[in-house]
Amino acid sequence: MRKTSLMAMAAGLVLALASQGAEAAEKLKIGFLPGVVDPFYQVMQLGVEKAAKDLGVDVVTQIPPTWGVEAQTPLLDAMVARGDLNYIITAPTDKDQMVGPLQAAVDHGIKVITVDTFLGDGDYVKGPVKFPISYIGSDNTEGGRIAARGLAKAIGGKGTVYINSTNPNVSSVEGREKGFKEEMAKDFPDVKVLGPDYNLDDANKATQQTAAVLAREPNLAGAFGTNVFSAQGAGTAVVNAGLGGHVQVVAYDATKQAIELMDKGVVSLVLAQKPFDMGYMAVMFAAADAAGVTSLPRRVETGFAIIDKENVKDPAVARFIYRVPGK
Amino acid sequence: MTERASRLALSHAASPPGVLTPAQRAALFLSRIWAWVFLAAMVLFFVVAVPLTTGGSVNFLTVRNSQNILVAIIPVLLLGLGQTFVIIAAGIDLSVGWVMSLASVLSALALRGVFNSGVPLFPSVLVGLAAGVGGAAVVGFVNGVIIAKLKVPAFIVTLGTSFIVRGVAYLMSENTTVIGLPSGIRAYGNDALIYHIGGEGGGLYFLHRPEVSGELLRRMDIILPYPVVVTAFVVAWAMFLLHKTQFGRHTYAIGGSMDAAVRSGIPVDRHIIELYMLSAATSGVAGFLSTLRYTAGSAVIGDPLLLSSIAAVIIGGVSMFGGAGTVIGTVIGALIIAVLTTGLVMLNVDAFWQFIVVGAVVIVAVLIDQSRDLIMARAGGRVRR
Repeated sequence: MRKTSLMAMAAGLVLALASQGAEAAEKLKIGFLPGVVDPFYQVMQLGVEKAAKDLGVDVVTQIPPTWGVEAQTPLLDAMVARGDLNYIITAPTDKDQMVGPLQAAVDHGIKVITVDTFLGDGDYVKGPVKFPISYIGSDNTEGGRIAARGLAKAIGGKGTVYINSTNPNVSSVEGREKGFKEEMAKDFPDVKVLGPDYNLDDANKATQQTAAVLAREPNLAGAFGTNVFSAQGAGTAVVNAGLGGHVQVVAYDATKQAIELMDKGVVSLVLAQKPFDMGYMAVMFAAADAAGVTSLPRRVETGFAIIDKENVKDPAVARFIYRVPGK
Repeated sequence: MTERASRLALSHAASPPGVLTPAQRAALFLSRIWAWVFLAAMVLFFVVAVPLTTGGSVNFLTVRNSQNILVAIIPVLLLGLGQTFVIIAAGIDLSVGWVMSLASVLSALALRGVFNSGVPLFPSVLVGLAAGVGGAAVVGFVNGVIIAKLKVPAFIVTLGTSFIVRGVAYLMSENTTVIGLPSGIRAYGNDALIYHIGGEGGGLYFLHRPEVSGELLRRMDIILPYPVVVTAFVVAWAMFLLHKTQFGRHTYAIGGSMDAAVRSGIPVDRHIIELYMLSAATSGVAGFLSTLRYTAGSAVIGDPLLLSSIAAVIIGGVSMFGGAGTVIGTVIGALIIAVLTTGLVMLNVDAFWQFIVVGAVVIVAVLIDQSRDLIMARAGGRVRR
């Protein structure tokens, strides 16, 4: 008696799973593979998941534990090997090295959308890499220029400033460095720019590097951290050296820590990107492409929210601070 | 299994020395093949669990996934291969990941330089291979000389060179990534011996990627990519070297007892230098293959790989005290890690669980190794390992 009921339960379970599977098979399936675990990509994941819910698509997410092609590629390959994904939304960890592995995904019939970082030169119409549907992210060169203007203003238009960055050959931070240097050279000839040093996405290393520059350059007037880890490191080093307020920091990425440092007067300007928008829109684009939409823009710039001491309490601005529930 | 093995050993403590009871014999046998059993059990688990959790839309046991796993094991396996020899000889090489990075940079620089001076692609690729493996072997030579001749512990020497090599790789690559390589090398790093398109309109293609698109492309399986073939040759050569030659016998002898090896006239110093050169050289092959695969040299490519490669060696049953281990064991160890990563991604479980499982398996591997010693001790220590 007991045996039969158990068997009936087992059969029921199998049926339930099977019917669930039949439904799932018709749904669009998207893989989401960001660059590394950090608040920026966690907020992006919220956008991806919200869009997936709104549009009724399935999402499979894998986040590499460290930044780099050797951490990202095995996860990408495994996603391709699943064989059931129609689209992959990813932030390539190198603009050249990830071309091959992502081309392999395309060869298997998976379409690629890049978010935050791009492949080649980011021009998917005329550039060397054309296979991604679209790049959805910040105009990082413009972001670098905004950061330069903000920092130049904070230090009174003259002095030595330092760039701390994460990795070379990553489209996002490379653009920020370029824009920052260009703007300083063009409009603020009295500002001397040092760096960048590369912390390889390690906030501790960013702290050490900035501390060393502070020791070497006693008159350092300001620092620009080009992403979450760089800004954390630069801010921490300035606080540790007791130079908060004397050395101005501009932070790319609106982490809670960056905002706290702004309250303490260490950080003068925070550039919030819009990772939620990037994630949400990427899923929308995949759904639209699957539905046969052919006029999707190949490049979408999601813009910035520029946060300073004056507007940080304004809810219309504060909503762009990277907040992940439960974290 | 371990506890049972030791309990078994204890309960039969009364048996005469030199003779194993059938239960001890069984435990010993299990302790030898447990990694195979574990790998098989894991594959079986994923074969059942993956279709169940995805409603049948994803399968673990596919041609594509088998090839994906073969590609995924390459760097860990190549780094582990030389390491297998070194650890069997009771040494350790902590520099392998960074030697791989250096080799990646060197092979990219050489390949680019030679190609740009007008040499055809294939010879340029060979020059890249020679530069990567040769440069790596130089590091191995330095490691070996300091360890063998100056008697500095291998742990310290290779730790030191890993930092030096990292710095050199950064400096040589200028901004960590060497780009501008001929695009033709992508084929060497990603193309395959066989292409198979199943179903209607499909077929088998050899050596050249068929020009197909759409649904046919989606169904195409890429079988035996060139890097897998190269790695298979290196593995076969390593098996021959370790298990069939005097070089291999000397490696075991040095790991078993350094004193005995010296007394029996083995040229120990020279052998140790060769071992570290071998370890660096297999890492060099890994660096070269990564340059082809990613069409760029990278000074950070090997950063995350050292610990995985040592884990693969230990899971494969190589004793950290030296004197025991096999090449095929390391292959199994690397497979276990790759199968785990792939399976977890297919189950849509966080890849971070991989670390926890690999860590546990490493510790279990050593426990099993020790239980084997315990059983043999009970039997009077007269049993061949």
